[in-house]
Parts: sequence; C-alpha cells; structure tokens
Amino acid sequence: MNPHVITGCGVVSTLGIGRQAFLAGMASDLGSGAGPDSDGTPVETFDASKYADVRLAEVRGFDPKKYLGDKGLRSLDRLSKLLIVATRLALDDAAIKTSGSWLPPSADGERPWADRVGLVVANAYGSLEAISELDRVALLEDPRYINPARFPLTVSNSAAGYASIWEDVRALNVTVSGWSCGALDAMACSDLMLEAGRADVLLVGGAEAMTEALFVGFHRLGLQSLTTATVPRGAGGAEGSRRPHGARLGEGAALVALETRKSALSRNATRLAEIAGYGTSFAPPRHTASLVHASADALEIAILDALADAQTRPADVDLVVSSLSGLAPFDDAELAAIRRVMGDSVPVTAPKFDLGETLGASGAMAIMAAIAHLNDAAPARPVHGRPPGAVGTTLLTAMGYYGSASALVLRRASR
Amino acid sequence: MQGGAKYRHSVLERIFVTGVGVVSSIGLGRDAFFRGLEAGQSGISPVTAFDASSLGRRYAGEIQSFDARDHLSAAERRRMGRCASMALAAARMAVEDAGLSSASLGEARTAVILGTTMGEARILEALDHEWIVGGEPEVTRALIPQYGSALLPIHVARAVGARGVVLALPAACAAGNYAIGFGADLIRTGRADVAITGAAEILQSLQFSGFVRLAAMAPDRCQPFDLNRQGLLLGEGAGLLVLESESHARRRGAHLQAEVGGYGLSCDAYHITRPHPEATGSIAAMRGAIQRSGIEAADVDFVNAHGTGTKHNDAAESKVIREVFGDRRVPISSMKSMLGHCMGAASALEAIGCVFTIETGIYPPTIGYETPDPECDVGVVANAAVRGKSDVVVNNSLAFGGYNAVTVFAKPGVLPPPRQWSGADEAAQPSTLRSPRSSPGDA
Repeated sequence: MNPHVITGCGVVSTLGIGRQAFLAGMASDLGSGAGPDSDGTPVETFDASKYADVRLAEVRGFDPKKYLGDKGLRSLDRLSKLLIVATRLALDDAAIKTSGSWLPPSADGERPWADRVGLVVANAYGSLEAISELDRVALLEDPRYINPARFPLTVSNSAAGYASIWEDVRALNVTVSGWSCGALDAMACSDLMLEAGRADVLLVGGAEAMTEALFVGFHRLGLQSLTTATVPRGAGGAEGSRRPHGARLGEGAALVALETRKSALSRNATRLAEIAGYGTSFAPPRHTASLVHASADALEIAILDALADAQTRPADVDLVVSSLSGLAPFDDAELAAIRRVMGDSVPVTAPKFDLGETLGASGAMAIMAAIAHLNDAAPARPVHGRPPGAVGTTLLTAMGYYGSASALVLRRASR
Repeated sequence: MQGGAKYRHSVLERIFVTGVGVVSSIGLGRDAFFRGLEAGQSGISPVTAFDASSLGRRYAGEIQSFDARDHLSAAERRRMGRCASMALAAARMAVEDAGLSSASLGEARTAVILGTTMGEARILEALDHEWIVGGEPEVTRALIPQYGSALLPIHVARAVGARGVVLALPAACAAGNYAIGFGADLIRTGRADVAITGAAEILQSLQFSGFVRLAAMAPDRCQPFDLNRQGLLLGEGAGLLVLESESHARRRGAHLQAEVGGYGLSCDAYHITRPHPEATGSIAAMRGAIQRSGIEAADVDFVNAHGTGTKHNDAAESKVIREVFGDRRVPISSMKSMLGHCMGAASALEAIGCVFTIETGIYPPTIGYETPDPECDVGVVANAAVRGKSDVVVNNSLAFGGYNAVTVFAKPGVLPPPRQWSGADEAAQPSTLRSPRSSPGDA
C-alpha cells in the first residue's frame, strides 16, 4: 500500500457516537468486554418480546435528528441514517466540513472539496429492514401496494448513495460487500483509488443496521443462542477466560478520512494513524458439500502479505486487533493463523466483544479501536497475551464466513 | 495490497480481455450472444418466474434456456441460488474461452471481482416469506448462509481455483463496470496477474414490483432514446470477462480479444434514482475514462450506451454524449432494447458487447427505435447492426445512488501505454492513438 494517513473519524457505535465518545467508551469499563447492553435492557430496534435471551449491541438512543436536523429523514432506513451521521462526523472530524458546510479547499486551491472527496463503504446485507417491510406488504396485501419511496432502499448501495446526497460527496462512491473482511478490503480499494488520483480524501469504513430479519437469521442459525454467557471483566488472564460463547449481533457505522500524507501535510490535518500494508486470500473448504468455513490458511497468507506490504516483521507488531467474535470455529482458526505467523505471546484484542458482531461495519470498528490504542486514548485489553506497553504498530485481522480472510497493518502516524 | 511490496511493478501493466462468458436472454455463451447482438435479437418475453398478473406489466428479458444442471455439479447446485449459478456458468465459459484451467489460475495470482445489485434475491425472498408466514421456526436454516452479495465471487473463486483478492462490489446498475475497472486496476498495478470480473443479476418479484411502482417500466418494449419510450424492461443475466496482464497473456500465447483502457468514476450526489439533469457527474466519469486511456474523445468510434429507455436517463445520457463528443455524432446503441435492463449485470454484458464490436467491427442495434427525440439528439444505431471503425469503444453506465462508471475497450495495440495518474492529471491529455497494427509492447 501507499503511505496513506487517517485524518478523521466518524463513528456511530454501541460504545458512543463521535470519536471522543467512542474513545471514552473504549477507555471506560464499557470497553472491557462487557459491552453496554449485556444487562438485559429491552431491545430498541424491534419487538424482541417473543425471543428468549436476546442480547444485542445496539446503538441505543440513536437520534439522527440531533446530527442531521428533522427534514428528509422520514423515508430513510436505519442503515442510511447510521451511515449519514458517520459521514457527517468524519467530515467534521477531518476538518473538511464544519456543521455540514465545506471548508475552503487547501489541497490544490482550485477544485471544490465535493469533487475531490469520495466514499468507500463496506456492508454485508443492505437494508433488510426495507426488503422485509416490502416483502410483507407484497405477500400479505398486494405487490401493487409497496411503497415506491422505500423501494430504492432495497438496492445494496442505497445507504452509500444517500450518504453522498446528504453530504454532497461526488468524487466516487463504492460499496464493498463483505462480512468482517469488508472494511479492510474497502481500505485496499481506497488505496488503489487514491493511488490513481481519483480523489484527494476518501471516507472509508463500513455500516450495518440492526433489524429483526437480521436477528432472526442469526438466531435461527444458533449464532445468538449462546449469548447469555457472562463475559468476565478485566484485562488479560488465561487463554479463553474472556471468550464469550456465541456472537452478540451488533450494529453501527464507522468511517475514517483517508488521504495521502502529502495532502494531509498540505492542509495541516491531524494525523491519527497510517495505513501501511494489506493482504487478503481465499481458501476453499476441504469438503465439497461445505459452504460456511473458517480458513486459518487463508488468514495466514493474508497476514504474511500484509506484513510484507508494510515491510514489517512480526516482532515489530505490538498488538493484534482481531475479529474474534465468540464463534468458536472461526475464533480458533483466526487465533491459529495469528500464532503461526506472530507467535504465542503477541497480545490479541477482540473489539467485537465490546462492539458486537457488526458484520460489514466490524472491520471499521476494529480500525477505530486500533486508532484508540495507537493514540494512547484507550488501553488495549487483550483477550490473549499480556497488555502491551506503547502501541506503535497494529495488525488487524478478519475472517470471512466462507474461506476469505484479510489483514491490515496500521501504524502510529509519523511526526 | 495482496502480495505486498515484492509484487510491485515499476511499469504499469497493460490489461487484455482474453475470455468472455455469457448467460443471457438472447443466448448462452459467446457465440450465441454475438450472433444475437448482430441480428438485433429480442430476448423479451412474458415473465414465467413469478406471477406478475396484478401489476399491469408482464414482460422482461428472462432467461428461459438456462439450466444449472448443464453447468454445475449437484453439490454446487445445492449450495447456491440462480444468481451465483449463472455467474459460475459464465465464469466457466470465460475461463474456457481464455484457454485457462483451474490449475493455471491457482498458480497465477488470480482475483475474482464481481458486481451485482441484489445477488441471490430469490433466496432472501424465500426466507422472508417463510418468516412472515410461519415465524422463525419455519425459516429454512440451510438457506440462510446462501444469501449475501459477497458470496458470488466466493462461489466463482472456489470453482475456478482462484486464491487472490475475492471481492463483491454491489454498485447497482453500474456494478459490472465497477468490477471490471477494479479488476483492471489490480492487474495494472501489479497486484494480480488475472482477474475474473463481471456481474450477475436475476429477475425477482419484489424488484419487478418496485420498478412498476416507480412508474419506470414499459408495457412490452424497451425503446431507448425514442421519442415515445415508455420506460425500461427488466432483464437478467451474467457477463464475465477474464482480464490478464500483458506479460501473463503473452507468456502463454493467449488470444488478445480487446485491451481494457482507463475507467472513470463519479457520484452525482443528487437523487437516489434519477440522474442529475445536467449530468455533470456522468460527463466527468466519461471524460475521465477517455483521458485515463490516454486518448481524446475524437478517438472513440462507438459508445455502448446505458440507454434504459426511461425519460430521465436517456435525456441525461444524451446530454453526456453531446457534451463529451461535441458536434460529432458518434454512433451509440443500447443493448437493453434487446436484453432488458439486467441491473448489476447490465454493464458487464455491455462490456462483452464492446468486445464483440472490437472483434467484429459491428455496432449492435437499438431495436424498437422508431421516432427520434429532440431531447436525445444522438447518433442511435437504429434497428439493424452496422459495420464501422471499431478501434476504441466506450461502455457507459449509471446507477441508483448516483453512481457513474465508464470503461474503455480498444483493439490490442491501439492505446498508448498506461501510466500512473495522480490528482493533478485531470487536465486533458494529448492523444497518442496508434495504428492497431503496432504491437502493444511498443511504447
């Protein structure tokens, strides 16, 4: 990858909304593996009364009007609202906009910011909210009665489309479909786009919204059924001591402002971290009948490639920010790959234990967590290994559900 | 990126199309598709996949000749739906057309980059219906993991032995061009040797109903750029292309069908379904694609247009054509008149249409074109294919969300060598178009 720097963050998460709130959440007890809503508080996004033991990582009390005003929100779905707020926060945090208005450009002084800022967003399932709502009308009433104003939401890239409209972001707009790997892959797409001069700044990350349909899918597969396990608090400890049983489904949106070092320096932007290397790979399952599978081999290759891309040795990595979620087969494969390359003692954190399994957003949440550790804004609380000292280099790892895996090296920004 | 610094190339690679695979309503496979394009064949018929009787519209470009059993093993059919089945069938055709094998793709650094709008929409529909009618206990567990756009390239990668970048880009109706552009970038910058790219889409009832409710669907004919056009017709299909670096293709003596030039992207940031009336984003994307190919608009021989047949799209696209090409009436045509709008797959199928034009010198027709529209004052290839110069062809696409993506294809040897672009390079580049007889290796 090329030396691109992160100059701002926009995050809407269960730990908090906005960079400072997120960092405060990471630094507090909320970021210790317990999560803010594992206390049996009622679910906000849908009527969960008919389901037993529902534990979700929702963005509680999310009120988009607070950030966007009260006009134009009625026809939007939750996914679009989460992403639009994250987009606005990222633009503000990167000092590209203030209160929704573009600041004067300083990169080349000629072209408007709107033409030079783009959006690259990972997402796994699009708007299941809109699709199931329209399916319900079509099935129980008549297809002629589906709401045309809600139909565009059924298209996978609609949230990113709405975000571009709300924030007038015009250079380019890319949606990447992926699960845990999606936002790391979005970083790689952005690397190519910036390298090719297609934008000066890209807002890169991911978004996923909680819906009953998404919950039912996970619940039916049993991924949610073991979420009642209490996650012990406290840092470090023996292996497995902080591993929950089953994934806790979450939601949120997170974007970072990514730009060339030259561009960041030219406008004297705050540099929060540098993207140094990326790797990805895919390996099929051994059995032809299998579909879902975890591949330690694919992740091992992805890690090796990311380290080579960053020209970094395993020993130089201070912390691995993993995609461990509580699903044992995937967690075991991910840890196996990490250990093969990095050794047994490297500290490994699991942001999903705090933030939930946010699918397309999860890689972006991991990037946010890494930024917190790289800037000494929150202590790393490893689920394996001992807490690190100063964190200068992080390796982010992600496992897909079907044999793909990606890795990203993120460094403290050079001064 | 995958491969890291050890794979970086100091010289940007040229990229060639060396294989294509098609599942379409006018034919399966390259030869049938090419014959259909030349003949101006219509793939439009009454929909059989679902009951559209209450909607007042019933025509679409449905593929009635595709049987997954002809292309996929029983195990493969059990783990994927119609969309991935069509993508995989097209991928196998493309790989065979390129003269490649799974073994060779496993040895090369092979990426799979595919686009779609909705992916396995029928699987989600089935899951939704089970849940709505019977609640969670009635939901078929085995179907749940089969839904997700990201699965399309995974199924293909698994079947063809690819181990590199595996990525889905759901960019709505511009998804094919996105996938081709990104796949080309991976090769051009030395991050892959081979990219299997393209897109797939299936007809599905909610999507059909949605376009009817948007009042965007024509009764029985799609007539792009015609004064009396009444909207789009939906279609389905899969178009996959094998892209290769010049070094990889030449090493194995592959037939170079077309060179992939630059591509342009932009976002309207205007309306979720309508193109910007001034088409500024779309104009920028087309100019960007042409400039990034190292040529000028005057060098373009033919435009494979987006041409949906809706009032707004065709008027905006005509504005783009006039703005980019000026007084010259560059020949344009819309394959959607034959195939319907295949959504995510549209621009991938149209990219293969570009390869057809480059290989044969034939511009496919816009069928059903009867009355010129002053608002669409462009050089439509009306009703019958024509022969013409075909050194450089532009593939235009627009999408929901204001997405604009444009790719350029050329006869091997025509385009100047690719070069690195930066943000300061947006100014017009001098044309350095060369004779098609010169070798692509001659810089």
